[in-house]
Amino acid sequence: MRRIQLAVVITILMAAWSVGLGRTAPAPEIVFTSNQFTPVEEQEWARNTLLARFTQETGIAVRFITEPEGPYVDRLLAEVRAGRGTIDVTGTLHGIFPVLVAQGVVRDMTEVQRQLDARRDRTFYRDLLAASRMEGIQAFIPWMQATYLVAARREALRYFPQGRNPMRMTYDDLLQWGQNIREATGERRLGFPVGPRGLYGRFLHGYAYPSFTGSQVKRFRSAEAVRMWQYLRRLWGVTHPASFRYEFMHEPLLLGEVWVAWDHTARLLPALRERPQDFVVLPSPAGPKGRSFLTVIVGLALTRLAPNPDLGTRLIEYLTRPSTQVLTLQGVGFFPVSPEAARVVPTGGLKVMADGVAAQAGAPDARTALLPIGLGARTGEFVPIYVDAFRLIAIEGRPIQEVLDAQARKLEALYRTTNAPCPPPDPPERPCRPD
Amino acid sequence: MRNRTEHAPEPKATQVVWTPYILVLPAFAYLALFILYPMAQAIRLSLTDPQTGGWTAAHFLRLTQDPYFWPAVRYTLLITAIAIPLQLALALAIALLVHTRFPGHGVFLYLCALPLGLSDLAAGLIWLSIFTERGYLNAALQALGLIRSPVSFLSYEHPHWLLGAIVLTEVWRATAIVMVILVAGLQLIPRDYVETAQVFGARPWQTLWHVLLPLLRPSLQTALIVRTILAFQLFATVVVLAGRLIPVLAGEAYFWYALYRSPNVASAYAVLILLLSGAVTWVYLRTLRTPVEAQA
Repeated sequence: MRRIQLAVVITILMAAWSVGLGRTAPAPEIVFTSNQFTPVEEQEWARNTLLARFTQETGIAVRFITEPEGPYVDRLLAEVRAGRGTIDVTGTLHGIFPVLVAQGVVRDMTEVQRQLDARRDRTFYRDLLAASRMEGIQAFIPWMQATYLVAARREALRYFPQGRNPMRMTYDDLLQWGQNIREATGERRLGFPVGPRGLYGRFLHGYAYPSFTGSQVKRFRSAEAVRMWQYLRRLWGVTHPASFRYEFMHEPLLLGEVWVAWDHTARLLPALRERPQDFVVLPSPAGPKGRSFLTVIVGLALTRLAPNPDLGTRLIEYLTRPSTQVLTLQGVGFFPVSPEAARVVPTGGLKVMADGVAAQAGAPDARTALLPIGLGARTGEFVPIYVDAFRLIAIEGRPIQEVLDAQARKLEALYRTTNAPCPPPDPPERPCRPD
Repeated sequence: MRNRTEHAPEPKATQVVWTPYILVLPAFAYLALFILYPMAQAIRLSLTDPQTGGWTAAHFLRLTQDPYFWPAVRYTLLITAIAIPLQLALALAIALLVHTRFPGHGVFLYLCALPLGLSDLAAGLIWLSIFTERGYLNAALQALGLIRSPVSFLSYEHPHWLLGAIVLTEVWRATAIVMVILVAGLQLIPRDYVETAQVFGARPWQTLWHVLLPLLRPSLQTALIVRTILAFQLFATVVVLAGRLIPVLAGEAYFWYALYRSPNVASAYAVLILLLSGAVTWVYLRTLRTPVEAQA
């Protein structure tokens, strides 16, 4: 009996409390979703530093939801389908925006861009603004950018091929480097993020393919491509045998399992931060057709169903402010999108990284490749075609031409059904078709 | 049997007793909302075209053409077939040991049940930190002077070692659940049976084989069903230890959803796992059925 009384009392108290909650004036709150900052440390930083400062300044609370790409996109699409929005601002990769634009998830950001331009405290790199326009609208405001490059332990440099310059590394240098290390130490110390959620696919379609063939899609099964795959097989032979498991290269770099690693800047940075004096950052290698690299652009947009578009605009203003861009660089290693922020010279591990990024972008033979766009809901199927080819050719040892022919058929079908244009450096013909 | 029921007197009062239904309602509502509804959703997704909404078998066709599909089926069945007999034997041994009530058996039981509290991801990470090149095993072997430089145990060049590491992790992690079920089952068996067997001069092996194991049948059945279904859902430990070199069905469902952004093919994988689980449960229920005359 007493227990029942207690339960009743608790229930009444809880009801009273929740009524009280409803009565107090609600602090304005907006919802911000992203598929960036998913690692726990980055989430913590985003909530406790980046967004906490915004709340302090404006009194607007931000509910930050970050999740992997699948659930992230589905949450946005589900709100559109339900016709009821809770998300105000969303921030994601340039390559995902075509999906969001096609499904009417985001608004045209031209007006917000005009407001930002009117403040005269920031400008945006022109190529990033160009990338933000798709299907006749401005899909996002540039927020931050990243790239992929090579980080190496200083002590590994002494095995670098004699008489060659690491800042002008070629693919042959990289292979020779791995072979030299193997001969000297008996170990394979090159590392690539070939694990399931690793970003090795980007290396294949955005770095190796354009550097060897001058193309991402069109020359997929060309003679140059076959030579590239022969090279990749040899490179795999001097790559650490646990690479199939790696997803964030800073871990094996810090452990010393790997001495030379290629990965996304944000996934190398923790190693540089922990021991800046132990590592150097080098540009990605150059092939017969130049030094191709990918620029990763992350943008911000208001959703079409945003309940608080004005508050959302204020968040976008804060996040793209030059001082916030510097804070973001220092916090998570994403680089500024405004020249005003890029002037600030970083220190420590970030300096090492920034030097590498500048050397890569400033190399005379540099070629920018962009992520494929226009594949809509099937964007996710592009990279696995390359990664599966790698698995079949390099790990399982299947005949190269045979695998390339089979994978080229998948690429062609993907582009045919989506009627998408070729990504640069291929000419923008539509639908893109491997020769 | 039949005659007796037919001639049983009809209950006089025709009023329906609602209490059991009301008591069962919350559980049913829970199952309907969180199990049945998502299940129906998954089946629908796996069989409909996302563009037109019409019925199609295209997702299952695509799944069978995926280079990971057949290896995933093979490895899922292989891991299950190796790990479960090991777990069952080990769990039975531990349960029998605990059942002897040796001094300190309580502490021993808790220690053995400890992995129950760990997520499969955490278990995978623990064993990864043992097997990796800079891991505990290499450090120990080096300290003992057995090897000069670290060995890459988890290498694509030795898929069998990868498989071995996965099975070991699974046995370590999931034997406890089988053991707990068997310990509970053993405690339900009245001591009289064992004592009677001893009076008739049965040796321990004979007691185990002819008395304990048959009486343990319902518990074994439960343990096998639970373990096999969980084995089909095996995912995190495999991904941590072997990436996608050892593909498994649940992992492929995840990758098709999260990496390829195709909820339809992912659902097709999920439905396949559901069918497999259903089939195996049915087989267990048939083959390990407790005979009617043995039911209490």
